[in-house]
Amino acid sequence: MKSYHDIAGDGGSRVVEQVEAQRARIDQNLAGVRHRVAIGSGKGGVGKSTLTLLLARSVARRGRRVAIFDADLNGPSQARLAGLSAAPLLPGRRGVALARDRDGVGVVSLGSVVPEGRALDFDSVEKGSSYLWRATREFTAVGELLGSVEWGRLDYLLFDLPPGAERTQQFADYLGPETAFVLVSTPAGLSRAVVSRSLAALETTSNPVLGYVENMSGYYCADCRAVKPLFPQDRQVELSLPCLGRVPFDPSLAAACDRGEAADEEADRPTLAAVHAVADRIIREVEADR
Amino acid sequence: MKFLCVPCDTRMELAQTRPPDRGSISLVYSCPDCGYEFAMLTNPMETQVVGSLGVEIGGESSGQAAKQESKCPFSGMVQEMSAASEVAGRTGFPWTETARRRLETVPDFVRPMAKTGIEKYAKDEGYTEVNDEILDAARRFFGM
Repeated sequence: MKSYHDIAGDGGSRVVEQVEAQRARIDQNLAGVRHRVAIGSGKGGVGKSTLTLLLARSVARRGRRVAIFDADLNGPSQARLAGLSAAPLLPGRRGVALARDRDGVGVVSLGSVVPEGRALDFDSVEKGSSYLWRATREFTAVGELLGSVEWGRLDYLLFDLPPGAERTQQFADYLGPETAFVLVSTPAGLSRAVVSRSLAALETTSNPVLGYVENMSGYYCADCRAVKPLFPQDRQVELSLPCLGRVPFDPSLAAACDRGEAADEEADRPTLAAVHAVADRIIREVEADR
Repeated sequence: MKFLCVPCDTRMELAQTRPPDRGSISLVYSCPDCGYEFAMLTNPMETQVVGSLGVEIGGESSGQAAKQESKCPFSGMVQEMSAASEVAGRTGFPWTETARRRLETVPDFVRPMAKTGIEKYAKDEGYTEVNDEILDAARRFFGM
């Protein structure tokens, strides 16, 4: 009797063929993107999304064409941060047009179509079994969005990843080995420990990990114009990858981001200076390698 | 998954798919050598797992393909959002023919979301219908 591998084809379901076609459509649609960089952490609340937007704007100021894909479908925040909460998905020439913030950074985020206060809900033929299929459905939705947007020619597409070490690894698998990763941590030992797990997860893939950014590395006090400690410095958890920079927390900058407003680039702020330094380093690393 | 006709040692072929019935789809397989047929009836959980891949059993071009669900995976949520908006008097907008044709360039996966968002934007901007003008204005406003 024949075995599975003796029989050509997939039995007529054409499931494999359709999944491969989806992947081909995504690859074709991203063909104009030179560099893909995923910003992950594993830990929630480390300021990953805000840092992603600030880095994107900084890279754009250096003459690169940049867009952000908000891959956190369940907690999308890029639309709000970029001031694009009210931007509907609009028809382009052959797909969804790419909305841009005031700095010219393209942003795709479900936050512009799913109101805050509403959880993303997938259609389901049977309630109570989402734990079986939800992750797959989310990645299918990510793929549909990536394959639907008119990205055009971009120098950088940044992926703002959802929290979770396992999600970080799944996105590495999904986006392929050409996607470089940057991890974000705070100085706190707890955060560094979670990031170290994400790093361990990424080490099972062939994706390059450029390094990590220590976010909330102190806070900037505008009154005394100094950076003061925010977290206890815990170096007991070693991260075996380069530190791309340390970015202090700036309450006024955080408030502006929360309102979807642009940062005041003219202000002499150590936070923005640190972000620009990280952006320079990422550009150097990515463009030197490829 | 593949099916084998044991007496003939031949791969069974998908002969027919039937539309979903309360979450179950029926797939009829036949043996090209002896003509033996059997049906595979999925349970709703199995249907959902396959549907989560965003595919249709038998392929999208299959005339008899059983569609597990709407192509928009959020159609239920979008309907709820639309219903909520109608309460607020936001939707039910007329669309001009050319605007409707332009909307069709948005993949059907996200088209209901796009439609809802555009109607909300049109309402907020004081338009009484969705036309080319509002689509172009929105594109300019959002830097597209």
